[in-house]
Amino acid sequence: MDHEERDKPAAAAGGVSRRGFITSVGSGAIGVAAASALVQGAPPQAQAEAVKAGDVSPVALTVNGRTHKLLVEARWSLLHVLRDHLGLTGTKVGCERGECGACTVLIDGKARYACMTLAVEADGHDITTVEGLMSGEELGPTQRAFAEEDAFQCGYCTPGQVMAAEGLLRANPSPDLDQIRHGMAGNICRCGAYAHIFKAVAKAADLKRQGR
Amino acid sequence: MLRTFAYVRPASVSEALKQIEGRGAHIHAGGTDLVGCLRDGVFEASTIVSLAKIDELRGIAVAPDGELRLGALATIAEIASHAAVVEKFAALSQAASLVASPQLRNQGTIGGNLCQRPRCWYFRGDYACTRKGGDTCYALAGENQYHGIFGGGACVIVHPSDMAPALIALDAKVRIVGPKGARVIPLEQFYVLPEKDATRETVLEPGEMVLGVIVPAPPAGQKSGYRKVRARGSWDFAMAGLAHAVTMKAGRVAGARLVLSGVAPAPWRLPAVEKLLVGQKLDPALIARAAAAAVAGAAPLGHNGYKVPLVRGLIEEVLGGIPPV
Amino acid sequence: MKDDELYFWNGPLPETQAPAPGPVPEPWDETTVVGKPVIRIDAYDRVSGSAQYPSDVRLADMLHAAVLSCPHAHAMVRKVDTSAAEKMPGVRAILKDGDVGTNVPWFAGRGGFSSRLFDPHCRYQGDEVAVVAADTIYQAWDAVRAIKVDYEVLPQVTSVADALKPGAPAVRDGGNAIPPGKPYVRGDVEAGFTSADVVIEHTFTTPCELQNAMELHGCVAKWDGPRLTIWESTQGVFGVQTGVARALNIPLANIRVIGHYMGGGFGAKLSAGKYSVLAPLLARKTGRPVRLFLSREQVCLSMGNRPANTITLKAGVKKDGSLVALQSKTVGSGGAYSEGGTGSVDFVIRELYACPNVQCENANVFTHAGPERPFRAPGHPQGAWALEIMLDALAVKIGMDPIALRLKNVTLVSQTRSGNPKYTSTGFADCLTKGAEAFGWAAARARKPAPSHIRRGVGVAGGMWQGGGGSPPATAIVKLFADGSANLNMGASDIGCGTKTWGAQIVAEELGVPMDRISVEHADTGTTQFATPSGGSKTVPTESPAIRSAAIEVKQQLYAMAAEQLKLPATDLELRGSEVVSKSDATKKVALGQIQAFGRRGLLVGIGYRVPNPPGSVVNPFGVQFAEVEVNTKTGEIKVLRFLAAHDSGRVLNPKMFHNQLIGGITMGIGFGLTEDRVMDDRQLGKLLTVSLHDYKMPTALDAPADKTMVIVDPQDRAFSNTGAKGVGEPATIPTAPAIANAVFNATGLRLTDAPMSPARVLSAIAGQKPAPAGQKRGE
Repeated sequence: MDHEERDKPAAAAGGVSRRGFITSVGSGAIGVAAASALVQGAPPQAQAEAVKAGDVSPVALTVNGRTHKLLVEARWSLLHVLRDHLGLTGTKVGCERGECGACTVLIDGKARYACMTLAVEADGHDITTVEGLMSGEELGPTQRAFAEEDAFQCGYCTPGQVMAAEGLLRANPSPDLDQIRHGMAGNICRCGAYAHIFKAVAKAADLKRQGR
Repeated sequence: MLRTFAYVRPASVSEALKQIEGRGAHIHAGGTDLVGCLRDGVFEASTIVSLAKIDELRGIAVAPDGELRLGALATIAEIASHAAVVEKFAALSQAASLVASPQLRNQGTIGGNLCQRPRCWYFRGDYACTRKGGDTCYALAGENQYHGIFGGGACVIVHPSDMAPALIALDAKVRIVGPKGARVIPLEQFYVLPEKDATRETVLEPGEMVLGVIVPAPPAGQKSGYRKVRARGSWDFAMAGLAHAVTMKAGRVAGARLVLSGVAPAPWRLPAVEKLLVGQKLDPALIARAAAAAVAGAAPLGHNGYKVPLVRGLIEEVLGGIPPV
Repeated sequence: MKDDELYFWNGPLPETQAPAPGPVPEPWDETTVVGKPVIRIDAYDRVSGSAQYPSDVRLADMLHAAVLSCPHAHAMVRKVDTSAAEKMPGVRAILKDGDVGTNVPWFAGRGGFSSRLFDPHCRYQGDEVAVVAADTIYQAWDAVRAIKVDYEVLPQVTSVADALKPGAPAVRDGGNAIPPGKPYVRGDVEAGFTSADVVIEHTFTTPCELQNAMELHGCVAKWDGPRLTIWESTQGVFGVQTGVARALNIPLANIRVIGHYMGGGFGAKLSAGKYSVLAPLLARKTGRPVRLFLSREQVCLSMGNRPANTITLKAGVKKDGSLVALQSKTVGSGGAYSEGGTGSVDFVIRELYACPNVQCENANVFTHAGPERPFRAPGHPQGAWALEIMLDALAVKIGMDPIALRLKNVTLVSQTRSGNPKYTSTGFADCLTKGAEAFGWAAARARKPAPSHIRRGVGVAGGMWQGGGGSPPATAIVKLFADGSANLNMGASDIGCGTKTWGAQIVAEELGVPMDRISVEHADTGTTQFATPSGGSKTVPTESPAIRSAAIEVKQQLYAMAAEQLKLPATDLELRGSEVVSKSDATKKVALGQIQAFGRRGLLVGIGYRVPNPPGSVVNPFGVQFAEVEVNTKTGEIKVLRFLAAHDSGRVLNPKMFHNQLIGGITMGIGFGLTEDRVMDDRQLGKLLTVSLHDYKMPTALDAPADKTMVIVDPQDRAFSNTGAKGVGEPATIPTAPAIANAVFNATGLRLTDAPMSPARVLSAIAGQKPAPAGQKRGE
């Protein structure tokens, strides 16, 4: 066997917490991006807007209230940057073409697909991911409602559903069933838990109104 | 994952025009059609020109005379929920609420929606089809259940926009700017049929872009709407749709503009049907004649014959739902 | 495939270890945790986004891999030139046919057929040609696109009809028509039809469906010396372990497969994929962990499907409603690499309703299309589509209520298994009657239609699933810690059905441990007990008794220790909360923490094994579903207004999760009946046209009605296992589509026999443009 022993990563046991990943991956992100810029032979661009193909340019992404200064290629999706550079794997990959909703995040409070958003286009905007709905280790009201109403099965579409619900409720705090169904119409649940999801959104509206 | 491209974010329309002149330059408005086209390799994009910094392209305004002005970057969601649009331009807000999905409506823009490329699965797939400069239309002999029954020829796509038929029913105009200057044309003239040029959907010349859309104040008493028929309740493009703007006076049709979606390479206005209606009472007999007239000259393909009764049914249902007074 | 073979496990099953026979525990009587709508124990993980799915695994130095798929329906790879790709930024390794480790057999078939990882003979669009590992996923795909392949494009055939024509391109040596097995025959169908008062024949068609679970297919592989760890999105970690061990020729002990969370499978993730082998090969070559997940387009192309079927069904019935003859001919294709184009389609036809004369023939065909993989109740939705619509047509013809017709033909014994064993229970009759009552069937059927082009109607359909009774092998371990908290260890995956939660509920019920003091370890070949993959609606019926047995064994050890300490017979003792108490004198008791032998031991371990179901009988779940629809006769749109599902799955462990299974199965059935259809370019290049989630149409929130209620029919069948719980995952989706079709008939008089019932098909039927299939009389 020709390979060397590698340093054991934090994830060796397969049971790393979110925080473990964020620390182990996030610190590498800028290093990796800067290294690739050096490999390209071009220095990172100053504040000029034009970026050559393959070069990286600086963006400031405010994610869950924290601003990250990153060097990104123009073609990188926000989804890729969130997951592979910031370690925020709560937002999921489903199709990478805006047809399933698994990657739903809030941008300036509005539900959007992170896979359809170039990271450079999110520059300067406020991004909220499912991790951002937590208070410390406590679930936010929308998340609690999904848990209580059994509004998921395999759970893979769930962060996207939660974010779509959050976006809906921020715009319309008291939606009726019809409005709920329309608001959730951009999120596929292959397991088919829709009827429970509708109940969860209604319950989330209640919890929010009660200030819980 | 996307291929690499250069990226530029001009600060003004004039700067943008310089950027989009180049070969392989494509505009990023909302990006909802662009990103999909890039993923499928529909065209080569060596430079992406983002309009994100050009604030003058945003916004929805209502002039004192009731004229509606949409900036090219107004999002579909903004249009759908704008109070004046909901109240006075129902076809437009209804069409907007039926576009794609909530997330895509938050991202997509009116400019992008009007200029979007077709959804034909041969066009989007790895086929050197007519629209991409090849010499074969694969839909003609192939799976054409979602293709057109009017206006086709060397190519039988349907134009995928819901907003365009609604705007044409409302007699909208589109503002265009380019290296040779600015122009305003009726949106009805914005689209190109394959008999003229099967490789593009709009009259935009290289280096031109859409600045915005103007919708005149509706005539008093105009009722408008947009009805979309599709397989699923979300995401899907129209199998067929009907935008209407009808004005009744003293129990008779004073004015009618009817535009179909999902049946032709351009939004398909129905002048013969409109002529049949004007001056008449909207009774079932007239509506039946209108439905027949709507499909006169339809040329269904091997698998989309259902669109003929579908168009008839749409005309009957929509006209039947207009209060006859 | 035989009926009771486990379709989710290839090869002979491991022999089960069974303990010495001992007293069989009494069924639970009143339960305090089992049977309650407890919140899932991993709800927090899933809704917070902290649950780590295999596609979320991130390891230091990890490489990202991408597969190059053949773009042609049929081609020979003549040359693969990776020279340009190798030089691209970030590329660390490329594998193609002939490279070290790639000569792994794949897709074994009759006559000694075998393909391999990068078989140069590509037999469908999607067949793998090469794989690249690079520093970033973008770089990997750049390199994939830079690989130059010389394909010799060959004539292709993707439609079953074309594949059967003489002179059609041969998908495999020996021709495209796979020699059929013997038809199923019971009685004499010709005599049966002669004796019938009414005979109807219809031809039905069902769509090719793609599972398209939300999490893509793939894995992360990492070597530590000779030991390999794989995190995979799978329904069965032990199945992946076996497949990879065989492919790489390494000992099972050196492979650890971890599959804690997974984003859906529906049958498409029951065994190792090529990615399960390619990722370790790349990891070995580069010395770095490798992540290989397919794109959504590749999943649509090559990760399985439910074959499309054409089913010609002829049925004979007497005026009093007795079925006298059923004859079916089913045709389907499992693609180029599978012979399973018609598997189990005829099961409900020959089993569900009492009928003395039955004949079923199946014809499988090879085509240049992606390989079939089991998809939620393989064969059954198709068979039910034909059978349940046929019953509706028979009912109309003889003027009988559809519920009454079904009740007339309920059977208490299995008709197709040899020896005709009895069902240990069948709640099918109760599903029909209680469901009808709860749904308001009679009133809805009596309703006069409103004068509108939008017509309302109601329909019913029944079904059963060939599995769902559970069987060995399964092993569960329950550990009770000295502080009274507990751990459950089992190999079963949780594919969305709430396995960890009902497993913990059983431990809570037996040992009185609160749910929040129970941890569950599962789905890890390195640390958890053996289980076959989670599929076939087998997990509840198979694992629940093993878990209960393990918990009981812990309890028996507690009693033995407490008996010694209290100087009482163990049979006098009972666990109440956290105390062991004498049943005859409640003052004699000891708290768990005070049992000295327990304190010294520190931990009690109970092992439970799944023992076989009682011989001479069979265990099956049954269900009946009722639908109300609205049909717009001007536009062809069908709107599903509400559904009611009445199901017999034995004891229900958690009614909230059970309801979730039902609404999930109904949603999937709505896809089958109304929107899903894999479309290939049969007449031209044979490529897949529905290669995205827009074009392959799965139901959205606006397609699934909010109003879905359930009726739990529990026949109190407690003899077959110590929990009496049957499976429900698959029954939930079997009767759905025909219930909708029958409701459409009730609303409009249109007898649609082709799924999906898109607006196009409805309008064609209305316009009378659909040609009548042979033998169909108008108005049926």
